[in-house]
This record gives sequence, C-alpha cells and structure tokens, in this order.
Amino acid sequence: MPKLTIDGKEIEVPKGTRVIEAAKKLETDIPYYCYHPGLSIAGNCRMCLVEVEKMPKLQIACHMEAMDGMVIRTNTEKVLKTRQHILEFLLVNHPLDCPVCDQAGECWLQDYYMKHGLYDSRVNENKVKKPKAVSLGPTVMLDAERCILCSRCVRFTDEISKTFELGIINRGDHGEITVFPGKELKNPYSGNVVDICPVGALTDKDFRFKMRVWYLKSGDSVCTGCARGCNIQVQYNLDRPHHTKGDRVMRLKPRFNENINKWWICDEGRYGYKFHDHNRILKPLKRTQERLEELAWHKILPEVAHGLTSAKSKLGVFLSSQLSNEELFLAKNLFKDELKIENVFLVPGNPPGFQDDFLIRADKNPNSKGAEALGFTSQDKAIHAFLADCEKGLMKGVVVFGSDILTGLKEKKVLQAVQKLEWSVFIGSNHNLMSEYATFVLPSATFIEKDGTFTNFEGRVQKFEKILEPLGEAEPEWRILVTLARELGIHFHFDRVEEIFKEMALQVDFFKGMTYEKLGMGGSDIRSMAAPTIPALEQDANIL
Amino acid sequence: MKADALVAKYETKRASILEVLRLLQEHYGHITLEMEEAVAQYLELPAINVREVMTFYSLFYSEPKAKTRFHVCRTLTCALLGGEEMVKHLQEKLGIKAGQKTADGKFSIETVECLGACEIAPMMQLNDKEYIGPLTKEKIDALIK
Amino acid sequence: MEKLISKYFIPGKTSFLADYLADGGYKAARTVFEKYQPKDVVDLVKQSNLRGLGGAGFPCGMKWSFVPQNTGRPVYLVVNADEGEPGTFKDKYIMYHTPHLLIEGIIITAYANNVHKAYIYIRGEYVEPYEKLKKAVEEAYAKGFLGKNIFGKGYDLELVIHRGAGAYICGEETGLLESLEGKKGFPRLKPPFPAVVGLFGCPTVINNVETLSYVPFIVNRGAEWFAKLGSDKNGGLRLFSVSGHVKKPGVYELPLGVSLREIIYEHAGGIREDRKLKAVVPGGLSAAIFTADEIDVGMDFDQLRNKGTMAGSGGVIVMDETTCMVKALLATMRFFAHESCGQCSPCREGTGWVHRILERIAKGGGRGKDIETLLDICSFMGGTTICALADGAAMPLRSYPTKFREEFEYHVREGKCDLDLVRHSEREARRIFI
Repeated sequence: MPKLTIDGKEIEVPKGTRVIEAAKKLETDIPYYCYHPGLSIAGNCRMCLVEVEKMPKLQIACHMEAMDGMVIRTNTEKVLKTRQHILEFLLVNHPLDCPVCDQAGECWLQDYYMKHGLYDSRVNENKVKKPKAVSLGPTVMLDAERCILCSRCVRFTDEISKTFELGIINRGDHGEITVFPGKELKNPYSGNVVDICPVGALTDKDFRFKMRVWYLKSGDSVCTGCARGCNIQVQYNLDRPHHTKGDRVMRLKPRFNENINKWWICDEGRYGYKFHDHNRILKPLKRTQERLEELAWHKILPEVAHGLTSAKSKLGVFLSSQLSNEELFLAKNLFKDELKIENVFLVPGNPPGFQDDFLIRADKNPNSKGAEALGFTSQDKAIHAFLADCEKGLMKGVVVFGSDILTGLKEKKVLQAVQKLEWSVFIGSNHNLMSEYATFVLPSATFIEKDGTFTNFEGRVQKFEKILEPLGEAEPEWRILVTLARELGIHFHFDRVEEIFKEMALQVDFFKGMTYEKLGMGGSDIRSMAAPTIPALEQDANIL
Repeated sequence: MKADALVAKYETKRASILEVLRLLQEHYGHITLEMEEAVAQYLELPAINVREVMTFYSLFYSEPKAKTRFHVCRTLTCALLGGEEMVKHLQEKLGIKAGQKTADGKFSIETVECLGACEIAPMMQLNDKEYIGPLTKEKIDALIK
Repeated sequence: MEKLISKYFIPGKTSFLADYLADGGYKAARTVFEKYQPKDVVDLVKQSNLRGLGGAGFPCGMKWSFVPQNTGRPVYLVVNADEGEPGTFKDKYIMYHTPHLLIEGIIITAYANNVHKAYIYIRGEYVEPYEKLKKAVEEAYAKGFLGKNIFGKGYDLELVIHRGAGAYICGEETGLLESLEGKKGFPRLKPPFPAVVGLFGCPTVINNVETLSYVPFIVNRGAEWFAKLGSDKNGGLRLFSVSGHVKKPGVYELPLGVSLREIIYEHAGGIREDRKLKAVVPGGLSAAIFTADEIDVGMDFDQLRNKGTMAGSGGVIVMDETTCMVKALLATMRFFAHESCGQCSPCREGTGWVHRILERIAKGGGRGKDIETLLDICSFMGGTTICALADGAAMPLRSYPTKFREEFEYHVREGKCDLDLVRHSEREARRIFI
C-alpha cells in the first residue's frame, strides 16, 4: 500500500486512493468545489491545487493518485496564494446576490472567502449577464449567474439519477447550466442537486426565501417514507416562528450512510415533512352524538381503559408498520400477551407504491421488517372475518394506531363495520378520515418528537431521536401505551425508550445482542463528507 | 439514408454528431430545436447533449441564415492590417452591425477568429466557404453587388 | 536550400495521384512495408529528431514509443489538422497542394504503430482544402493504398476525414479527442495521456499534419540526413507561416534553428514600406513576443524555450512601428477569451476578465493598478489549468506589458495611444492599425 506524506504527516492508503481522500483521512483541509466522493472526478474548479515535491506545477489533489513516497504540501505560500487567486477568478463574474440568495450562510464561496480569500476586490468590469430565477422543474430553481460551473449537478443527473436532464451550453465564461428547451429537471431525486450545489445557483423551490439558514437548528433522524430508512437531518426553526406561521420543520437533508442511501434521498422523502406541523391532532378528543369535546389525558385514558375492559375479547386492535419497534413490542405485550386479545392486526400504515432500482422501495412504511421480526404477519383473512363480525354487531370496539383503516384497507364497507361498534379509539398524529369518526382521538407524536428504532427492509435497525417537543398535548405512542397499561392495572416499568429496547432485546430473537447505545445514529453529516470544514461562524456547530 | 452512412464510419453513434448536424444544415440551412431532438433520438443521446454541441461550436446556425454571409477575421494579423476598417466599411454599406442580419435577410456580418489565412490579411470567409483577401473597400463593394 | 514539402506549393495546383506518383510518391510507404518492421520505423523517426510541428515540439519518435501495444485494444492514429493557432496556415497549404504527401505520412505512421483506423480532424472552416483532401483519399482507396490489404501486404488501414465545427480548443490533443467522440471539446485531465488512453479509451497516436508530412522524406532519405538539416536535437526543416507587416507574407520552408532575422528580412522581404520593426510573435499567438532587438535567435524549440518563449506552430507575426501594442494585446486576448472552452475556472474567468480590462484600457478607461492586475492575473492563469490554452494566453499577456511597459503605462495614464500623436497625419493615408 502506498505511503505518502502530507504536510509532514505520513499515511498509508490503499492503492488507487486519491490525494484528496488521503488528506481527508489526516484531517488536512484541502478546499474544493467540483470534487464529490459520490461522483466522477471533474477537476475543473482548481481549488484543490497542492504542491507535489519534484513536480514543477501544482497538481489537483482530487485527481492525482497517491503514490508511494509522494510528498505533498497543502499550505505553502504558493499554494495559499494560488487558492486565493482561484477564488478570485470564481468571483469575477459572480453577482452580489448574498442579500437575496438562499445559500447565504451555507455558501462555499462565502466560507472559502473567509478562510482562503480575504482580499480586496479589484474587478472594475461589467459582469457577464445570464438568466436568473429560472424554473428548471417542479423542485429546483436556477440562477445561472451564481453558477461556478463545477458540473456537480450535471454529473449527478448523468451518473446517479441517470436521467440526463442537465448540461452546460455555450463556451467560456458564457457557459450556463440548462435543460433542453421545453424539457424539465424532473426525476424522483431532483432535490439532491440542490444539496450538492456549493453555491446558490441551484436552490430548492420548497425552501425558497423561507428561512435564513443561520436560524436553523438540526437533529438527526431516519426517513419514514419507505422501508429503506434513508438517514436524514431535520432542520427546524424555533427562533423565528413569525416568519413561518409557526411551522417548525423547514427542510430535510440527507445524511451520509455508506450502506443505505450514501449521500442521497428521494424527493418524496425530502419534501414529506409538512405533516409534522400541519393538520395535527393537538388534544385528546372525545366524540359523542351531541358534540366533540377536548378532554385531558388523565380523564380520557380511564374511559378508554374502561372500554377495553368491558369489551373483553370483543374488540380488535390495528397496529401499523409506521410504529417503532418499541411501540410494536409494547403493543404486542399489552394487547396480545396481557389482555389476551386475539384480533391484533398489523396493517401497512401507507399503501404500497412505486419502486426503482436505486433508493425507492414499494413498501411505504419504515418498520415492516421490524414488525415481521416481532412476529407480526399479514392477516387479510382474519381482518376480513373481524370486519364481518363488526357488521354483524358481534364486536364492541376497535383501537387503531396511526393508519386510516377507513381508506387504507383492501376491504370494502369498513366505515359501516366501524359504525356498528360501540366505540373506537384512534391514536395518531394527523387528522384523517378515521380521526373524524373515532369516539376517542388520542394525539400522538410524530417520529421527530420521540425516540425509537425502525428496522429497514434489509434488516438494519436504526435509531431515531427526539428532536422537537410534541405539538400540543401529543404524546409518543409508547408512553400512551405505558400509561394506558397502568390504567388497566398492568405495570410496564418503562420511563425511557432505551429501557423498552433492552427488554425487547432480551425477549425477541431478532434483537438479541443489540444494545441501544451501540446502535448509533448510523449515518453522518453529508456536510462533513463533502463540504468545507471550517470553524462555524456561530456557536451552533450545525450551521456551517 | 445518408446519415446512416455517416454514422457507420465511426465507432460510436455519438461520434458522428458533427457530421450529422452538418448534413442537416447543408440540407435545411439551419438547425431547429425539433431537429436537435430528432438527432438526439437518432443517435440515442440525451437531447441536452445535442444542445451542448450546437452552442459550443461556432459553425452551426440555429436561426435562418442570410443569403450572403460575410465572416470577417478579427484576430491579430488581420487586425494589424486593417481588418477593423473593413468591418466598419461593411457595416456602413449594409446598415447593420457585426452580429446582425439585414432586414430582408440578404446579408449578414460576423466578426470571427483566425481562419488560418493570415497571408492574405485582412480577409473574410464568404458563405462559410471561400476565403477572400486581402480585402479592400472596393473588393467589398464588388461583393455586395 | 532544397525544398521538401514546399516544392509542391504552386499556386492553384494540387498534386493529385498521377502527379504525385510521377514525382516518386508512395515509394516510402512501399519501402516500409517491404523492408521495415514497425519498430524500425519508430527508431528511424526517433533518430531523425523530428519534433511535433503542431506546437508542442515533443520528439515525435519518442511520443510513438509511449503507445502500449498488446493491450487488447486497437491503436488509433488521429491527425490534427485543426490548425487553429492564429498566425499559422501551413497545414492548409499541405492539404490543398499535396494531400497525398500527408496520406503517405499517415500510412507509414500507421504501420509503425500498428494502427488500422485513422482519422483526420480538419477544422470546419477549411472547405477547399477538405475537398482536395477528400478527393486524394478517394484516389488512394481506389488505388489500394488505403482500405483492405493495402499495397497487397495484408495490412488494413481505414482513413476517415472528420470535420470540426469551429472551436480552437479542438486543436488541443484531448479536446480534439472529445470532439471526435461527439462531445464538446473539453480537454481531459492528464494523466492518463492519449498514447495510453486516447480515442474511445484506446491507445492513440496524435500528430500534426506537417509532422506526418515529413515522415516519407525521412524514410526515403534517412534519419541522419533529416536530423542534419536542422539544429541540435531539432531535426529537419519546418514550414514557417509568416504574416503581418512584411512585404511577402506566406509559407517558408526553412531549417529548424534558422535565425528569425533571416526569416523576416531575407525571406519575407522585410518590413512593408521599409518601416522599423517593433515586435514579432515567433511561434503562434500563444508565444511570448520578441522586441526588435531580440530577433537574432535560432528558431527551434529548445533555443526559443530558453529565451522564454516558444517555437510553437511556427507562426511568425511581424509588427512594425505603426502598431499599438495595447490594441495588439487586446486582439490577442479577445481571441483567447472567445475560444476558452470554459471548463476550468482560471482560464474561463481569467481570459474574460483580462479581455475586458484591455478593452477598457484601449477605449481610454485605464486605471492606476491595471497593469499590475494584468500581470498578477497571468501568474495564476499559467500552470493552474487542465490544458495549455491558459498558459498560451498567459505568455503573451505577460510579455506585452513587460516589454512595452511605457507604452502600456501611457495608455492607462493618458487614456489614449501615444502613436496617435506621431501618426495622426498618416492615419488617413495608410491602412494603419488604429
């Protein structure tokens, strides 16, 4: 394996490693724009030029293969001066858009200028004019003047999404990113080009002018849009609620995970965050013929408990593959083992959909595999029989977690069946048809408001953590189950999700040997994988 | 099909793109966006790649050409020998500026970079074919007639 | 001095097959098939000290020896007939007047490198030379000199003429390959070099038209003979394209190492109107200029490099005392800005920026630090880019304000040309570069 020296530090790397990757391993900062570890090498920005002993010209670190005995220097005066001038070149035609550009605060031109530039501008000429505020498609906005022609986005549509929408037309400094006239940038992964654009040339329409990034805080989580469980980062704003009408979540970004999603997420996952702040069930509700009233938790749960006890075995429980492993485990324990209810069903929270050979899975639920590991199977026949019994008036009640069984089941006439019951309980985070009919509506937290684990379609168990407080009086399902159990005289001694996980790992084969701490958060910040690593301008380390 | 014969000369379909575009241009005068898409389909390429080639190279016309096209060289030798004056003269005589076409579509003027004919500077290329030089105001007047 | 290639340059005449054969044409190709192994040909060309005459001046035989055989992939030969370097027009003459000489050179080179498919990339603007070349290629095919089993020796060689579409950067080796493959002419990152990974990912020999056109002479008359015609390590003759303020612009075939003074005053007839020489571009627009007192220099690759410029494409552009150096540099940088492919940042932004500064100075808007800025920019345009276009822009950019500092300072300070004062009365009478 070749051994090379970078700034006096020695490192041995596998053959074929590029100098820029070797430098990263040594935590040596080499700035770059066009390089991206997930894309082919373009070598056009020239920011990563470094000094190589015995070579008269500076060489780009992103392309040069690390050879045995190579001596690299990344911080000599020649290198630093060259970097400064390369930056100056990139800024010659760059418009002074910072005040109106979404990228401000996370812009690599700004960041590198503060670290490698710090010169006075000497451009006294007119800048090249190009199209601004061009809609490239449903998700992405282009400002061609801001573009530094690093070609990351073009390489993305060629190599990753393989949809070939983008290209660079014209020659020289009139070069522009564009789509073919009349065509659009429209593919299931289009939002990723905004992530990889180092400047404000490609911006997200969904995020456009919404929030300045230095007001954003972030937390790590896992996407629940399908069974892949791509790692995400939830970026939210609590400081400026008046800018966003109280919406907390501003956008989702992917986190790098070598095994699951690399640097990417699909558009459906990326833009599917509005439900955390819209159409939420905020308080426990009790619905009678006469009215709908808000009821405190400590008042409503005894009523629910009473319903469960009096119904005895004449009830059904619908769990969903949207629930976490811990919640499914608790639910199974409570309803099946303790209460000995037979009709405990697992249904998909969302119906199946489109699948491709990249990230998107047909199963649009995050925890089907987890449910399977916990012993749940699909029971269409039994569900059918249960609903038939409901219609005949043989059943008393139903408890539904999350999924909208009135619209989601393959059955017909579910509404009629449910209306024949004495009571029904809906536990969920957002309003749907079921919550419009249920007797008791219990507000639950969304997955960013609670801790837990999901098992993705490959059997990988991933942790997600509480990032925000639940809205209104919502509670995580696991705590609802613990409290409900207490009302029923069953004692689950769980104060934290880790404790549930520990118990689960002891009882369930699939989870044997796993520990909550060791699970880790799986992925890592994409910004640390492919971004300038400079000291943050603010105390919040998440904001680069 | 003539285009098929062109494509057959190359190892990949894509490599024949310049010749195919030239063929279309010789036949139709200029290349519209529809034609670009057709070429893309014919060569099994994304349409944007055809657009890139059309905009990168100088010899392709996306708009209808003028009947008589004066491409006057402006690089060093021609500039040293009065090329700028020749352009000014043309502009005066035709009433248009370099980069424009006359309203009746008869004439157009372009200033172009070195055509590899510095020995007859100042010179121009007429209708993308003939090299004419050394230019004089009289020669230009004769060409306009 | 005996003319080799240029003896065919008779105005209006093309040596088609009958003429060329009568003159002893294709004898070298035949000899090579009958008497030489491919390696012998490579050695022969090495010993001849034939240099790349397109601009880089790399020893031709050595370049051929970099090509790996036995990779399992075919070896291609690509002839660079893009001739985009301003001031250069010699390849045009070869293709127009004696296309068979080029074809013969191609055949020998192909044999030397185990090539069975060759392309000629000719610039799209060369319409008449293309037509002559096309006819010559058809003649060669008809005669069995190209195609299957050429010369009856069981060797196949296909030759395709491919026309460019107007881009100087496609004269750069890897830009040419990209263009030939049907893409924009964006030069590639090197390594790997074209000899190893070239056209369609296969080993490729790329040579200029003129370089290949000398190969038949080397085969016919010997490597030592050819080497002696030139200077030390720079073998043979070359075609100098002389233009500008000379009495007899044209192509002059002279030995490598000939004095620049001789080229200008003896062969090209001296300065028009017997004026004073002011500056000379010695090797195509990308070369640093010489002042009038620097022209006693031998025009070969090594000597010119030692003088801080380059022999390049052999394009000699002569500027007399009526030339405004600021405007001359402006025309130069305007060219590079227009032709930059735009791939990498120093060239794309640098050439455009420099062009705009010079335009402002030429129009009278020069400001205090402009010259320092220009010189600083060119320090970082050179040596930082994917290909040598930026280096080619940086060299003249540095040499003009360095060697004509006062003239540039006058322009910036006064907002006009100091020539105006001297030449005002003459400007109307002559076709002066204003």
